[in-house]
Amino acid sequence: MAYSEKVIDHYNNPRNVGSMPKEDPKVGTGMVGAPECGDVMRLQIRVNPETQVIEDAKFKTFGCGSAIASSSLATEWVKGRTVEDALSIKNTDIVRELALPPVKIHCSVLAEDAIKAAIGDWKRKQGAEESQASAAAAPAED
Amino acid sequence: MSVSSLAFPACWNCGAPPGGGHFCVGCGKIQPLDPASGYFAFFGLPEKLNLDAADLDRRYLALSWKLHPDNFVRAEEFERNLSLDRSSVLNDAYRVLRDPVSRAEYLLARHGVRKEGQTKQQAPPELLEEVFELNESLEELRAARRSGDAAESVALARSLETAGRNFQAKLGEVDSELAGAFGEWDAALDRSAGEDDRARLMARMNEILNRRSYIRNLVAGVTQELGEAPGE
Repeated sequence: MAYSEKVIDHYNNPRNVGSMPKEDPKVGTGMVGAPECGDVMRLQIRVNPETQVIEDAKFKTFGCGSAIASSSLATEWVKGRTVEDALSIKNTDIVRELALPPVKIHCSVLAEDAIKAAIGDWKRKQGAEESQASAAAAPAED
Repeated sequence: MSVSSLAFPACWNCGAPPGGGHFCVGCGKIQPLDPASGYFAFFGLPEKLNLDAADLDRRYLALSWKLHPDNFVRAEEFERNLSLDRSSVLNDAYRVLRDPVSRAEYLLARHGVRKEGQTKQQAPPELLEEVFELNESLEELRAARRSGDAAESVALARSLETAGRNFQAKLGEVDSELAGAFGEWDAALDRSAGEDDRARLMARMNEILNRRSYIRNLVAGVTQELGEAPGE
């Protein structure tokens, strides 16, 4: 089975490989895995707290070409979107864009899960910050 | 009564109940295979996970002789095809059951607990963190080794070997956990444990197998790296 040109392109020139500080309150980290093939994927987003826009995204994936391509594409797609908008990215969109064969669909599922996990982590941090702020009875910020 | 005797209540040749084996108990003619009967039943074995390898080898050899297409060169095409079908399933079944890991994966897949590819499997976050870090250190070692000088390369090869031994030790731990679960599964079958008990055991084995595939990948990564070692 041959990889599609788009998969090969993302595999050879992965976009946005790297990491961001996990402790940063603006950063959300999603770590997901596909145990049946042993893949692990980490996707991170940095969100502008004012606009809720994802300003930067980084990923690192240990896995097959399709898993790397799916997460690389996912970082490209989330950048510039609002958090809510990024949640609407579906694995089927990734499958279509990369022309993934049926046996590699789980790689796209992994990428979708990684986006959701990263956003979930960021939201948790926001919630934690808010409750801290209210506990300190700090004046509300805009 | 086995599943296959229910699926094929009458022998195609003599019309009597064929008995569910490879050959009709009445007339001795080879019987069609019910795909639902599964690999364990093919060898006349219960679905137990601790399996005597020598016994499996003997069963495999005996069946290879009996089912071999050479025995059917003068038979009707229908019978020849049955022999081909059974011979090919025999080889698949032997390959899958011979290895303890593929045996367990097969059992779980057969009961719908484990599915290849498209069904998502859950992995605990601590495990993912650990696997991710291990993969990163393996990658760092690789990169350093590619760019490093000869002396450094030797030192890095040593750290890789150490990493490899650690992964190997982890693999050993997982395998003994798996062996323990095999024993529990077999004991559960012996006491005809209920669905809940069995489902719980299968879920645990699935979790162990998931962990195992991560660690196996790491071991393979180290082995490959050491195999490709420059100037060793």
